[in-house]
Amino acid sequence: MEFVPEEGKLPNKDCSTLLLPALSIGNVGQLAVDLLVSSTRAERIGYLDDLFVLPCVGNDAYGPIPCGDLALPLEAYESSSNALTLVQQRSPVMKGMLVDFAKHLANFASTTGKKHVVLLSSLDFGRWQKIDMSSGPQIYYLSSVNPDGTDHHCEQFGWKRLQEYDPAQRCWKYLSSLAEENSMRDNNLPFDDELEEEDYYPSLPFAAVFSCLKAKGLKVTCLLCYCSEGDNIPDAFNLAEAACKLLGLSPRNFHGDESGNWLIPFSWKTVYGPPPDLSIF
Amino acid sequence: MEDVLTEIPPPSRFFQEDLNNFVPPLPSLPLPFLVFSNPKPSMPLRPAFLIIALSSPSLYVLHHMSSKTLIGSLILPETSFSGISAEPSLGDKSCNIYALNGADNLVLLVLVQCNVTAERSHTVARMLIGEDIVPERVLILDSVQSRNFRGKLSADETLAFKLETSAERGALAGGSGGSLMLKGLHYFPSGSMIDGLPAALLSRCQLRNIKGTLCVSWPEFGGSVVALVKSLLLSVLPNLDFSLKGEGEDQYAKFSRIKDQPFDSELYT
Repeated sequence: MEFVPEEGKLPNKDCSTLLLPALSIGNVGQLAVDLLVSSTRAERIGYLDDLFVLPCVGNDAYGPIPCGDLALPLEAYESSSNALTLVQQRSPVMKGMLVDFAKHLANFASTTGKKHVVLLSSLDFGRWQKIDMSSGPQIYYLSSVNPDGTDHHCEQFGWKRLQEYDPAQRCWKYLSSLAEENSMRDNNLPFDDELEEEDYYPSLPFAAVFSCLKAKGLKVTCLLCYCSEGDNIPDAFNLAEAACKLLGLSPRNFHGDESGNWLIPFSWKTVYGPPPDLSIF
Repeated sequence: MEDVLTEIPPPSRFFQEDLNNFVPPLPSLPLPFLVFSNPKPSMPLRPAFLIIALSSPSLYVLHHMSSKTLIGSLILPETSFSGISAEPSLGDKSCNIYALNGADNLVLLVLVQCNVTAERSHTVARMLIGEDIVPERVLILDSVQSRNFRGKLSADETLAFKLETSAERGALAGGSGGSLMLKGLHYFPSGSMIDGLPAALLSRCQLRNIKGTLCVSWPEFGGSVVALVKSLLLSVLPNLDFSLKGEGEDQYAKFSRIKDQPFDSELYT
């Protein structure tokens, strides 16, 4: 993975917190990063060129009026006033290369001196074992602070540690061993029997990125919410708000004064396709 | 009506294997390579202008342009040569490279007539831009991908959009008198995306700070879009003869029907 800086831009070492999406159902992590880039008015500082990310291009996603600024699949942004670096990923990873891609991301975070990585992702509502909506949409987390994934700081917000995280479980262990190896190798599972329910969560992209970041000795907090495929914009808001809580940020103070608030990215106007053709009625 | 339970999900949603760390990767393929006719030109080639045709209308227009010389080809090992003809033909699965005759500076045309998968696009883009071929300016011609387009597309309406690299936009803003590449075209609307080889090519230009433009036209086939593409090419290469012979439109209609076949098997050549 090569970082290609925008002309005239240099990464700010003070932006030591990195916010990343992990691919997931509903694209919630990516939508949340879109919202945060747009609302903090983060500036693009460069691109990440990775062979394993499938190519895509588009017009400026944020606006206020897109004027032809090219959008690429993997972009790095900075919000100096919030000491944040944000990486947005717009397209999938090549089949079978998720762990290798996660290693590349972890290398980037490590070599650019990031101190804390916040990973945003979502989980399939259909897999939720114990549904608890009593206090509204629940945020789950996974942290590198303690070996069991807990973090007192996250618990204070009423978030729950992802119960399906078990570092001793075969697939989580296997992911850790892959993350710690220096060479890229065959990611085929070292056991032949069929995958079981407990193997599902470590198979997800967020698990690979979490394991690789942890293997680099970085502090990483993964924030997750359950959702279904559909209009996932409310889920994106939920996750973005949780990220702000974690980092002690307030949308109202995004710009260093009281003028800030959530800014909807311009590209969201057509994120779910064009409006229906009313001429049929 | 499509069955909502079994129909292929739209491209903004993932297949299960896209979200599985333990899916085995695709089998690796040998690298593509460039071959050039004798005498081999001195490398790297440094064309002033590189035009890469991907869409059916652009392939048709450039194929029928007589003022060009075949100088080489990009070979993709995964592409079968079965049925390929001795002389370049629109029906071949090939990726031929031509030099424009009579141009003041070297102008190269690449006609990509074979399928390049998304997974292969990075590698092919590297072969065509930035290593053995180092262009000053690039124009990529493709069709709007309706599956990735978030606006409305009518089969009755002929249109085109563009995307440019920062270097190309800077060249226009600088007022240096450089070519106003496709100045009448609107930018591709925000919220829609282009993927695959055209995206890989334009990304490569952006990352290597090369002036690059991607022009996507609609519809994918038809005489009206051929005329549009011809006029766009004339605007960037005004001294060339792009006139198609009288039977051109009939031949195009025949070509379109062949290209539009969903069934494509090496059994039939």
